[in-house]
Amino acid sequence: MGSGVTRMRTAAVRLAARATSRVAGFVALAGALVGALAGAAPACGADKVVFATNWKAQAAHGGFYQALVDGTYARYGLDVTIRQGGPQVNNRPLLATGRIDFLMGGNLLHAFDNVKNGVPTVVVAALFQKDPQALIAHPGQGYEDFTRLRDAPVIYVAKDAQFTWWQWLKVAYHFRDEQLKPYNFNLGPFLANPRAVQQGYSVDEPVYVERQGGFKPVVHLLADHGFSTYSTLIEARAQMVARQPDLVQRFVDASIVGWYNYLYGDRRLANAAMLRDNPAASEAEFEASTALMKSQGVVDSGAALADGIGAMNPQRVREFYGKVQAAGLYKEGDVDLGKVAVYNFVNRGVGLDVKRSLQAH
Amino acid sequence: MNAAPRRLRRQMLLPLATGLAALALWEITVRWFAIAPYILPAPSLVLRTLWDNFDSLALAWLFTIKVTFGALALAVTGGVLLAGLCALSRTVELALFPFAIVLQVTPIVAIAPLILIYIDSTTAALLLCAWIVAFFPILSNTVIGLRASDPNLRELFALYGASPWQRLRWLLVPSALPYFVAGLKISGGLALIGAVVAEYTAGAAGRETGLASRILEAGFRTEIPTMYAALTLVALTGVAIFAGFSLLSRLLLRRWPAGGGRRDEGQE
Amino acid sequence: MRYGPERAVLEAITFTVPPGQFVALLGPSGCGKTTLLRLIAGLERPDSGRLAVREDPGGVAPSYVFQDPTLMPWASAFDNVWLPLRIGGASRAQACARVQAALAAVGLADAADARPDQLSGGMRMRVSIARALVTRPRLLLLDEPFAALDEFTRQQLNDDLLALWALAHPTTVFVTHSVAEAVYLSQRVIVLAARAGRIVADVAIDLPLPRPRRLRTTAAFAALCAGVTEALER
Repeated sequence: MGSGVTRMRTAAVRLAARATSRVAGFVALAGALVGALAGAAPACGADKVVFATNWKAQAAHGGFYQALVDGTYARYGLDVTIRQGGPQVNNRPLLATGRIDFLMGGNLLHAFDNVKNGVPTVVVAALFQKDPQALIAHPGQGYEDFTRLRDAPVIYVAKDAQFTWWQWLKVAYHFRDEQLKPYNFNLGPFLANPRAVQQGYSVDEPVYVERQGGFKPVVHLLADHGFSTYSTLIEARAQMVARQPDLVQRFVDASIVGWYNYLYGDRRLANAAMLRDNPAASEAEFEASTALMKSQGVVDSGAALADGIGAMNPQRVREFYGKVQAAGLYKEGDVDLGKVAVYNFVNRGVGLDVKRSLQAH
Repeated sequence: MNAAPRRLRRQMLLPLATGLAALALWEITVRWFAIAPYILPAPSLVLRTLWDNFDSLALAWLFTIKVTFGALALAVTGGVLLAGLCALSRTVELALFPFAIVLQVTPIVAIAPLILIYIDSTTAALLLCAWIVAFFPILSNTVIGLRASDPNLRELFALYGASPWQRLRWLLVPSALPYFVAGLKISGGLALIGAVVAEYTAGAAGRETGLASRILEAGFRTEIPTMYAALTLVALTGVAIFAGFSLLSRLLLRRWPAGGGRRDEGQE
Repeated sequence: MRYGPERAVLEAITFTVPPGQFVALLGPSGCGKTTLLRLIAGLERPDSGRLAVREDPGGVAPSYVFQDPTLMPWASAFDNVWLPLRIGGASRAQACARVQAALAAVGLADAADARPDQLSGGMRMRVSIARALVTRPRLLLLDEPFAALDEFTRQQLNDDLLALWALAHPTTVFVTHSVAEAVYLSQRVIVLAARAGRIVADVAIDLPLPRPRRLRTTAAFAALCAGVTEALER
């Protein structure tokens, strides 16, 4: 009886997939038509667009929410819906199947995997110049030395990370799967066990830990140990990039402007919007996070200072790929780097004027 | 006597034929509409992926099977012992059953994350999750079975002065057997579901990982054919469990008139 | 014996049965004859009064034949008949001879391996009787065992039961609601009243034993039946 149900479910999954692909086909077709029309004539009505993030709403998503609530997306002719991710949520397959239009990527490994597997998606912007991905630990446990982390009895890592940078940590620094336990956005287990280590964003979790646990954790930025990827990438379907470049450009530009406004302007409405999506957070945490994003140079640093937030260059992508390939994550020729990202939507200095006018006040 | 082999053949051939037809339809649809593999992979691609990745998938398969049958064995032991206690003492039954019911109706999806927090060993946590879903049907069915013995027979045993042990061996156990086996068939499938759901929550944690973890991983990598390949193995396991327990049921209940499916073989 | 505040099932029943006698308990449905039988068997206890069943010095328990054959459906006829001996500690080999003899006595020697669902209603009842007799009981209690069978089988089994009884003469109490059956089988018919069972009549049956072939058509038989019927209607 039990597996009769399993068979029915499998059949149902197949049916649903068939239906999805049909619907996806129709949607893509309709989308292309609309896009073509929109390109050919002045836009009458905003383009509907769905953007999915990779975690629950937090300050690291602030720029997008800012563009949503202060009308930036609307000004660029976009009707954007932000769909948040979470510990149990996997939004990744939705991009390829056409259920969403843009996807937030946490690091370049996702993009490398997609290209390797022939999934036609491409990175169009890199909002973070530095990946704030970090491992945090209790102070005074000897974890001040990064290499001691591999001896930790338990490390809490969320599911999508288990299959990206955790794999890199295993081969580059000899961490082991035995240490691994799933991280469900619940600080409890980490706070309760002084020997525990967990993942976090250097701009977020330390703030939460200080608020809930009352101490400042030891923070090890993976970027400081060779994990030199861009972060908070915007990924899109290659097909959309080819057929609706104007739409993609508008989304990228509006998002960049949103980030400038969030970092340097009045972000209260954006914070309120994020609180609605993620009631477990607080305004104070968002503010503390934003301060850290600025002080750690996560968003607006390096190339972004001259070329605008979202700046990307192929050399850095190639260099990062070289590192992870050397670490053994990929074999020679696995990934055609030319397909990983397109660079023409960024590096145009968009938003620099916004920043100047905000900082003048 | 030719009825039995012919019927068995029909029982096996018909589902096989419809299954193959469905697969053929799937393959043709994918090719005809040129559907991308990351949306809906064709069966041929799924099989090829399964073959290419068989080494790692086989290890995962083995682990999932270990957890499923480990949990099932524990469920049988625990379920039968508890059923015996409940059948012996109404007090025990009334005291235990509310807990059993609460465990049964609370979705394992909700409980699994908590169990993974409290229990250190991931394998133990997985076993516990699968055990929780599997033990209740066995418990409940066996209790009913133990109580279902013919009251006249019970009086007969009392009249002849049978000891409780004799009563258990020669009356209660044979009476309860069809019910127990029915519970076992249900629990077989449920143990697999429990193992897979628990693993979904656990992700890649632990030294060994099973098929659900592979499905998860393939999902995050948008490796859809691999997802299908692992899913196929899960489905095959479910079918094998069902078939295996049906066979076991037929063997154990050979001597039971209604249990061995011999009803329509005809007698006077 | 009372089942509830309003209805007493049996009231003030007093009778004695000498050892070796075949007694029929006759009465309409609901008169409490089954309850009386169960009291004698020890399956129920009286709410008041005394019940004395003189124990056989051999210590063999009374045998009880239920209204339905009450066989273990998963066991063969042999295993069903073996059960009382098995409970008493006899192995299959030790009991084999007696079980086979009991089955043969009811005419089922070659059905030893058959399961109950492979036997007819009459054959199942025979197995039940064989089981009752395999322990060589001194007290045999039967509760309308042939009520569910057709007339022909019933008469057949009546004769077979008498033949078996004649072998060892156990004290037998036979409950029935058939006048003809009561008169045919027993040496003494105790008639119970319809409600709140009391003994209405205690009729001695002095027909010859073994019963002659055409007994049911004789005048003596008819007269006895009439007498008993009249007692029933009182």
